[in-house]
Amino acid sequence: MEIKGEKGGLLQGIQILDLADEKASFCTKLLSDLGARVIKVERPGGDSSRKIGPFLGNLPHPERSLFFYYNNTNKLGITLNIENSSGREIFFRLIKRADVVVETFPPGYLKELGLGFEILSELNPKLILVSVTGFGQDGPRCQYKSCDIVASAFGGQMYVSGSLSTPPLKPFGEQSYYTASLFAAIGILLALRKRNFSGKGEHIDISLQEAVVSTLDHIMVRYFYEQIISKRQGNLYWNYSFSILACKDGHILITPFQQWETLIEWMDSEGMAEDLKDEKFKEEKYRLRQFEHIIEVLERWTKTHTTKELFELGQLMRFPWAPIYSPMEVLNNTQLKARRFFIDVDHPEIGTSLKYPGIPYQFSPSSFNRWEKAPLVGEDNIKIYQVELGLSKEELQRLSSIGAI
Amino acid sequence: MKQGILLGLRVLDFTWMLAGPYATRLLADFGAEVIKVQSKKTSKGAESNLTGYFNTWNRNKRNITLDMSYPEAREIVLKLTKISDVLIENFSPRVMSNLGLNYEKLKEVRPDLIMVSMSGMGRTGPWKDFVAFGPTLQALSGLTYLTSFTQDSPMGIGYAYSDPVSGLYAALAILTALEYRDRTGRGQYIDLSEYEAICTLMGPTLLNVSVNHQNVSPQGNQSDDISAAPYGSYKCLGSDRWCIIAVFNEVEWDSLCTVLGHPDWTREERFSTLSKRKENEEELDEFLEQWTLHHTPEEVVNLLQKAGISAGVVQNAEDLARDPHLIARDYFVQLEHPVLGKTLSDTSPIKFRESLTIDWKSAPVLGEDNRYVYTKLLSFTENELSYYIEKGIIG
Repeated sequence: MEIKGEKGGLLQGIQILDLADEKASFCTKLLSDLGARVIKVERPGGDSSRKIGPFLGNLPHPERSLFFYYNNTNKLGITLNIENSSGREIFFRLIKRADVVVETFPPGYLKELGLGFEILSELNPKLILVSVTGFGQDGPRCQYKSCDIVASAFGGQMYVSGSLSTPPLKPFGEQSYYTASLFAAIGILLALRKRNFSGKGEHIDISLQEAVVSTLDHIMVRYFYEQIISKRQGNLYWNYSFSILACKDGHILITPFQQWETLIEWMDSEGMAEDLKDEKFKEEKYRLRQFEHIIEVLERWTKTHTTKELFELGQLMRFPWAPIYSPMEVLNNTQLKARRFFIDVDHPEIGTSLKYPGIPYQFSPSSFNRWEKAPLVGEDNIKIYQVELGLSKEELQRLSSIGAI
Repeated sequence: MKQGILLGLRVLDFTWMLAGPYATRLLADFGAEVIKVQSKKTSKGAESNLTGYFNTWNRNKRNITLDMSYPEAREIVLKLTKISDVLIENFSPRVMSNLGLNYEKLKEVRPDLIMVSMSGMGRTGPWKDFVAFGPTLQALSGLTYLTSFTQDSPMGIGYAYSDPVSGLYAALAILTALEYRDRTGRGQYIDLSEYEAICTLMGPTLLNVSVNHQNVSPQGNQSDDISAAPYGSYKCLGSDRWCIIAVFNEVEWDSLCTVLGHPDWTREERFSTLSKRKENEEELDEFLEQWTLHHTPEEVVNLLQKAGISAGVVQNAEDLARDPHLIARDYFVQLEHPVLGKTLSDTSPIKFRESLTIDWKSAPVLGEDNRYVYTKLLSFTENELSYYIEKGIIG
């Protein structure tokens, strides 16, 4: 992320301690990829998220987790046991130099260790503490255990995904962690601005459940304004604006109702419009009543084409259609390649570079070119503890022997 | 009026639908002065000011009318840009440059301008003119493919998840550029690709495909990357009621068996370790569902959470609206709208201990702030304003 004539990136100078597990490591990645200096503080042996797959070469190992690799790019890494009193002393010294701490412990855990927000802000009144938890710091469910699928269910994602003949379906991946992380990263930048005029830090409380509810698009709006409880309807979009149909070689997402006359003209030019040419289908209400029949006719037609043909021709006619891509197709996508979305990140420890998804924005005049792999367990212990905090080699050895580092 | 964190930040907002308005709503919620630009022609469908949808995504904003099809509109945009910190738009790629309003031109009147262009595919590349809505981008990112039970029957997420995600990225980009501007005095042009935004949320999977050279197939709620069993949704007592149970280790398994009262099947050899349970997942799920079927999801979740097991209720919109936990945390906010009356929506999930929030208001009606913006901020005379209104340029 070097900007010409400047070291560092857009967020240069912001110092963040990342104590988060899988629930919010993406939060500090968002900021480290923009130039903030993030030190990942892992417990000795490494963070629990190193156990999450997929793994490099499909070999489970704490230094081969691709989940960890992706969520920790451009961060420094140290180990520290904050449950150990010597470890806490070191933690206090790190706190004094930090702008932000991000953590995902159960509510109350830090306080029990004598590391609650009040104590931390006495040490550093400008400190911004960000807590990302399943249900937030207070409320009747705040001590509940959570994980992505629990947040997804309690947050309303699952009830509306899948079909009525299947169980509710969780969106793929760790979506609740990612949305919570986006909100948390925005919260950090807001708190930094607030600090500019108040001179004081903040404690930001992010709940996975609330992060999920806040990204539900139409679901709550339709309930509050029309008392409609959205249900699961398979691949048919809630307002019938999109549906997924089979093609020769896969599936395509199409709009079965929009630009009706253009669509019918297209199908008719291939002799496939059948009775949809009929005048009465021009009326939208009639089409809605005949929905199932329309889908049948459309699918007879889409099955005579490849997804690529329909996608490219459709886009020329301004249809917002798309093939249902597998991840491999995303990786080989021409648009993403043209925009250099995937970037090569050096992995000296395995003697090669790996291709990563990058960031979704291009800033100009600032350009991004610093990409460093996630730290190995304790990779920067010497740099941070010896060089920056001034601990001696002997001290470091002592701390290591008592399990503090 | 209370002071907001972003007090004094002025955002000129040309966005519409969901992704862009979601970004500017976030800024407005924290006190930025967001001036949404509409016209009679654009105030339709999802952008019609008196719909619930519009009211939800455009609260706390100001609103002016300006018909961009008139040549005079260009000069007015330049005047508005001059007094704005941020300009955000999600027109199709050619619109702004056809109007002669690209970043280079706008920078002449406002050298430290932060401008964000949001678009489906980004402003460059062979697909830059492609049309895309949320579901389109979800399909292209692999998210729809993988949010399915089988490869033969893709389903995907039941709503436009990608839109709020793009909005969040836009807000993050703006705040990042502001941080940079504070330090250096320099502005920024930001080209945000909504396709890339949703792809970043597929990160570990795309990395997996790229480094292990293997495709990944849909598995419903299961995943090779999650070592837990039982794990998934289980049918409960009631109509379409479901709970989630996720057991990650032996301690949690023992607790589950205790809650169940140690029925014989829990002692079977094939369920004795996590890996064996994962191997025999189908049979395990059948046994467990025989139990959940006799309880409401709330009962199951209460019992299991007390025993230290991750469990959840699959909540629908009504459950959410009545959720005692969300209500206790003041998650929903009621705002009075001059025409729609009392309206409810979600508040910001970014909770500050010491909130410096502004007094919130419902979404503006069309042209509500014309007088304030044009006469007070741009110092148009009454004559000028009525000239523009008469010609239909403002209106």
